[in-house]
Amino acid sequence: MAATALKEQLNGLVNSMFAEGLLDEQFQQLQMLQDGSNPGFVAEVVTLFCEDSERILADLTKLMDQAVVDYSKVDAYVHQLKGSSSSVGTQNVKLACIQFRQFCEENNQEGCMRALNVVKHEYYHLRSKFETMLQLENRIQAYETKQQN
Amino acid sequence: MAGAHQTPSAMMKPLAKLFKKLQTFIKCTENRTSILPQKKIIHGQPEEEEFNYQTTRCLSSYYSIFVARLAIMVMLAILIGMLTMLTWHFTKVYTMNSINSLAYGLRYELLQRPILRVWNILNSTVEITMAQVKLSEYVISHYEKPLSQEPAELHQMMRDVTWALFSSRTALDAITISYRNGFVQAFHRDHRSNTTFYIYCELVNSSVNQGKAHHGHIHKPRDRPASAIWYRERLDPVTGEKKGDRRQIPPDDLIKIAGLAEVQDGAASWRVAVSKFTDSPLLSAALPVRHPSGGSIVAAVGVTTALKSVGQLMKELVDFHSGYMYLTSLEGYVLATSTDAPLLRNTTGRKLMMATDFEDHIIRSGAEWLQRAYGNKFPINHEVHAENVLLGNQRYYIDSFFLNLTRLPLVGVIIIPRKYILGKVDQIGFTTLVILISASICFLAIGCVCILILTSGVSKAMKLRAELISQLDARRRAEASSNYKSQFLANMSHELRTPMAAVIGLLDILIYDDCLTNEQFATVTQIRKCSTALLRLLNNILDLSKVESGKLVLEEAEFDLGRELEGLVDMFSVQCINHNVETILDLSDDMPKVVRGDSARIVQIFTNLISNSIKFTSEGHIILRGWCDGSNHSSRPECSEAQKMSQCALRNRSKQHESIVKKEYQKNDKITLWFEVEDTGCGIDPSKWESVFESFEQADPSTTRMHGGTGLGLCIVRNLVNKMGGEINVVKKDGQGTLMQLSLLLGMPEDCTVNSFQTEFGKYSLKVLLALHGKQSRSIMSQWLREKGFFTWEASEWNGLTQILQQVFQENMQWSTSEPINLSRIRVVPRENSIHKMGGLDILIVVDISLLDQSTNIWKQQLIFLDQYRGKAKFAWMLSHDTSNAIKVELRRKGHFLMINKPLYKTKMTNILHAIVNEGNFENEKGSNQLNSSMDEDLHESHDLDSIHFDAISSDVSDISDMDNRDSKINTFYSEEEITERNPESHQPSYSNSQKISTQRVPLDKIIKKPNILLETENLINMSKDFTETDKHGGIIMDYSCRYGYNKDNKKNMISSITDNLQDIKPQAVVGNEDAFLKLNQPHDGGESVIEQEYQWNVKPTLYNKGDIKQKMIAKTSMASPGNTHAEGMEKQLSTERSVELAYRGSRLLENQDMHYSVHKNDCVALSSLVPDQNPLGGLCILLAEDNPILQRVATTMLEKKGAKVIAVGDGMQAVDAIKCMLCAEENKRQNSTHQDDVAEGLSELQKYTSFDLVLMDCQMPKLDGYEATKTIRNIEAGTGLHIPIVAVTAHAMSSDEAKCLEVGMDAYLTKPIDSKLMVSTILSLTKRDV
Repeated sequence: MAATALKEQLNGLVNSMFAEGLLDEQFQQLQMLQDGSNPGFVAEVVTLFCEDSERILADLTKLMDQAVVDYSKVDAYVHQLKGSSSSVGTQNVKLACIQFRQFCEENNQEGCMRALNVVKHEYYHLRSKFETMLQLENRIQAYETKQQN
Repeated sequence: MAGAHQTPSAMMKPLAKLFKKLQTFIKCTENRTSILPQKKIIHGQPEEEEFNYQTTRCLSSYYSIFVARLAIMVMLAILIGMLTMLTWHFTKVYTMNSINSLAYGLRYELLQRPILRVWNILNSTVEITMAQVKLSEYVISHYEKPLSQEPAELHQMMRDVTWALFSSRTALDAITISYRNGFVQAFHRDHRSNTTFYIYCELVNSSVNQGKAHHGHIHKPRDRPASAIWYRERLDPVTGEKKGDRRQIPPDDLIKIAGLAEVQDGAASWRVAVSKFTDSPLLSAALPVRHPSGGSIVAAVGVTTALKSVGQLMKELVDFHSGYMYLTSLEGYVLATSTDAPLLRNTTGRKLMMATDFEDHIIRSGAEWLQRAYGNKFPINHEVHAENVLLGNQRYYIDSFFLNLTRLPLVGVIIIPRKYILGKVDQIGFTTLVILISASICFLAIGCVCILILTSGVSKAMKLRAELISQLDARRRAEASSNYKSQFLANMSHELRTPMAAVIGLLDILIYDDCLTNEQFATVTQIRKCSTALLRLLNNILDLSKVESGKLVLEEAEFDLGRELEGLVDMFSVQCINHNVETILDLSDDMPKVVRGDSARIVQIFTNLISNSIKFTSEGHIILRGWCDGSNHSSRPECSEAQKMSQCALRNRSKQHESIVKKEYQKNDKITLWFEVEDTGCGIDPSKWESVFESFEQADPSTTRMHGGTGLGLCIVRNLVNKMGGEINVVKKDGQGTLMQLSLLLGMPEDCTVNSFQTEFGKYSLKVLLALHGKQSRSIMSQWLREKGFFTWEASEWNGLTQILQQVFQENMQWSTSEPINLSRIRVVPRENSIHKMGGLDILIVVDISLLDQSTNIWKQQLIFLDQYRGKAKFAWMLSHDTSNAIKVELRRKGHFLMINKPLYKTKMTNILHAIVNEGNFENEKGSNQLNSSMDEDLHESHDLDSIHFDAISSDVSDISDMDNRDSKINTFYSEEEITERNPESHQPSYSNSQKISTQRVPLDKIIKKPNILLETENLINMSKDFTETDKHGGIIMDYSCRYGYNKDNKKNMISSITDNLQDIKPQAVVGNEDAFLKLNQPHDGGESVIEQEYQWNVKPTLYNKGDIKQKMIAKTSMASPGNTHAEGMEKQLSTERSVELAYRGSRLLENQDMHYSVHKNDCVALSSLVPDQNPLGGLCILLAEDNPILQRVATTMLEKKGAKVIAVGDGMQAVDAIKCMLCAEENKRQNSTHQDDVAEGLSELQKYTSFDLVLMDCQMPKLDGYEATKTIRNIEAGTGLHIPIVAVTAHAMSSDEAKCLEVGMDAYLTKPIDSKLMVSTILSLTKRDV
């Protein structure tokens, strides 16, 4: 029973994330890909995404703090982040990245800073949700293994 | 010069006015310019900024114009002003100077004259006085001697002498002689009364009568006043005679007598005196009379002259010249004036007046002015010349001259009004000035107007330039915005397709899910359809925008135009059958078979046009006509249809004749192909013929509700057609419907030949009975057949068919030549020499299955009826997609194996004819070859169809039709096989079975799917297995072949060779696996025809897959056992059903092979044949180069789900390394295949899977991006002759990116996020081609 409750909770969380627009169809596709053969797939991808994003964000922050901003580098990073966020289906981060890239093309430092903050904000918001989600999944798995045993 | 100073100030006024005017004008124009942009601003807020910028620039230009104008005007004004001033100044100054000098002379002259008069008067007075003195001296000296003589005589003498003098000078006033003794003699002339008096005095002591002084006292001084009595006598003025009595008068009463006292010094004395009786002052002179001897003064002579004549002269002068004159003494007493005013005043005796006290106010004020100006300090000579002295209200010239007479200096003053001298000059000067000023103002005004006009041209030019600049600016912005638009669309293509692809992909997943209820399945199918439609719409819009933005790049590749169009017609015919609409393809024979162009776009054009036609056509037909060479196309649309046909035919025939000459087109030549799409729909109103090609334009908007559509289709068509160098328009059509005519300019392949179909069928004297339902297609076909030299009959329904059949065969039996009337004209065609070859089977009957009555069971009787002609004629059946399997089975049972699917077009007809002819001609051997070649084409076609369906309409209907299509082909193939093997009987039952079971296909599908899923889950695990499994694999093959051998006794002898082969396989790697199968198959097929061997090569990958799967299956027997058992439980069914299932797979030859295999084996094959549905990439090893870990993970999972083995690398460098390793490994393998194990051990884990079938390459990667990596790989491959397919994966979805990808040597192109279906199909097409 606990497992089903947890699953419901997880579903609710994911649904709310869809409703909020944090996630899009791509994430559903990810969920589809997860099955018996690769049970932790979504978790794995999400973790990958989080690690990757944090690294990129750290790099971006460093780049933006410099006196002379190398926009081509920034652009490359943002492109990367956009790619990974779109393939995970984190819509808001992707949109923020698109905005960011526009500012980047204009070489608008102020705009870039703002966009970076937006991206960060979106990302941290999302990460907290993801963390909850992963915890729930872990617990579900723990229950399931226990039951099997 | 005062006037000259005045003029600038006068000039300043109009100038100031002018400036004011200009200022207001500038203000006004400023307002205008500021209003103009405001208006524009209202139009669009975002443009505000730009326009403000524009305004300021505009304003500055206006400013510059006005500054320039102002400067020019000011300069003009200054110029005109200076000219005016100079003109005026010179005229005025020279006139003034000359007139002034003249006036001065005049004044001087005027004044000089009275002064001269005075001078004359003085002189004459002096002369008289002197004469009197001399005469007196003489008289006295004469009478001195006789001193004792009577003094009366002396006095008398003196009186006479004096009178003589006095009378000679009428101007004299008086002459007096006063003697020493006091005696006085005087003559006096009163000018007023014109009377002359003699005045004398009588001394008391003398007794002389006539008043003569006592002579004794003449020389002696005595007290005169004591006792003298004065008398006056009136005289005749002419004669001097006494006229009246003497009258006693008081002394000195009348005149002033010059006394001795005045002449004491002996010199002459002058003075101005005043008499009592005259108004004018008198000039009196006195001289002493000296004694001639003694020199003593004996008497004093006085002469008095009136100055009145001077006054009179002045008056005369003034009368003539106007003005005023007066003479004053040095002290200022007025002596004479030109006026009548009294000169004397009578206050206390008569006295002279000062000039300043004069009564005449002009003279007085003039005198006052002189005194004021100079006071007493006159210049040395007393000369003053003053101009413009204001006296009273007028201006005057005042000049004074000084006459320095001894004892009587005189000052003459003349006052002349300025008006008299300069009045005219001033007037003329003023008028001149006025005229000059007005003229200059006029000039200025005209000049300003001229400047305005001239500069207005300039300002217009400026305005135009400003507008031009703004236009340029606008254009630039518009271009930028259109750029943004296309950029936006490029992005959108990405952003829109992604979710759509996801939706469709997920729906596909859902559809394959087996736990759906029927309703759910239907709903999901519906959703999928809708999504596909939406995606198509999106693609349409994106296509349109691509074409419009000029970003669409047309491919240049060779393709078979006819086949594309046939596929298209096949596809649409399925749709049309439901609508009761015929779809007909009518391509002329002179169309080149292969052309260069963008096949996808051409197909798109016709898809749009035909689907458009279908949409609006409820019944009738849709014809797609095509012909080439634009020489006589112009006349074509005007002809009726029949004429068209015949023309077409004529042309074809002529073409055929000269085909030898004209087969070779010039290399790279462009050819114009003409097409017509005709339908019998509702038609388009002629007024809309042009507008239907606009975006979002529909002929009748109200139809949208009924037919749907956005109106984009035709727009895209036109854009594409134009892009291909052609034109499309709606053409007038007889009857109902629409006729679209379009031309395309396509390239010719380098080594092209005209239509390869040139076989002469005529010599076979075939007769064709076309029993087709569709009128149009039938007539077109029969027309064409007649051209080819066939007899044709036409029947449109069952009764007609039977009628013709009976007629024909009766005739045949009677060997009568009476043909049906309508065909008589073609009677000449049959040729005797070929008849015998056909063995009587020279009649081909093409029967449309719809002619049979399918609603009831009558069709069976009908078939039986037809069966009686079987020996006499060949039957070809035209099936439609909904033909029930019962009929098909029955047909096969009856031995009708020539079945084709609707619609019937030339290629199909040709194939049928080939089949018939070859069968009749060469019986077995060659026949199979020929037919196979035609079947090859069919097979090919089915492939093409498949791809088309995949791209354009992956709807269920088409899928089904596809299946049927293949079915039919397979069926025909079977019939063929039957012919070749000559033992159809053994297979007959299985066919019938198959037909029965295929009716239950859907439930079976479901059942079969279950083991499939099991297989699928195991698949991944199997994929990752090592080569150690090759043993097992070999074992399976052994098993397989054993079973095979067991069941097929006649092939038993092959087993040994197979096992030999298998032993070879064991040590080999994956590649060896394939080879093993090849080898395995080769002996099996050894007994079969050569063609089948060819097919083997095609089938190879499928075989390989199959083997692989089988291997897995058996490796996991424990897991798969339920599925297997289940499958085995249905062995029988499955074995009969295999043909259907295999048809589904689209691999016909496999089936062909399997046919010889055992039932047990077929079971497995049937099972495995379903696997590709979810495991289509089984056995493929794919190298994935992707830097993004997430994408990497996702793509890997996706591919693995499809059954592929995936090696992922992080960048291009690694990808290149991996490929290098693979190539090395291959080399090694080739070199020492026996030591495979050692090599395998030596290689790393990665390198164990070195045989990559395909590379998925991300374009943007660190270190080495996709393009560079591809180039490197292609370079490495250059020597080896290998070619690994590389598929680009990129987030950019524009065709330019695609072009770039293909340019560097990639084989295909996928957009991110990856659509798994598209990916799978791409991968499959590439790997098939490659292997």
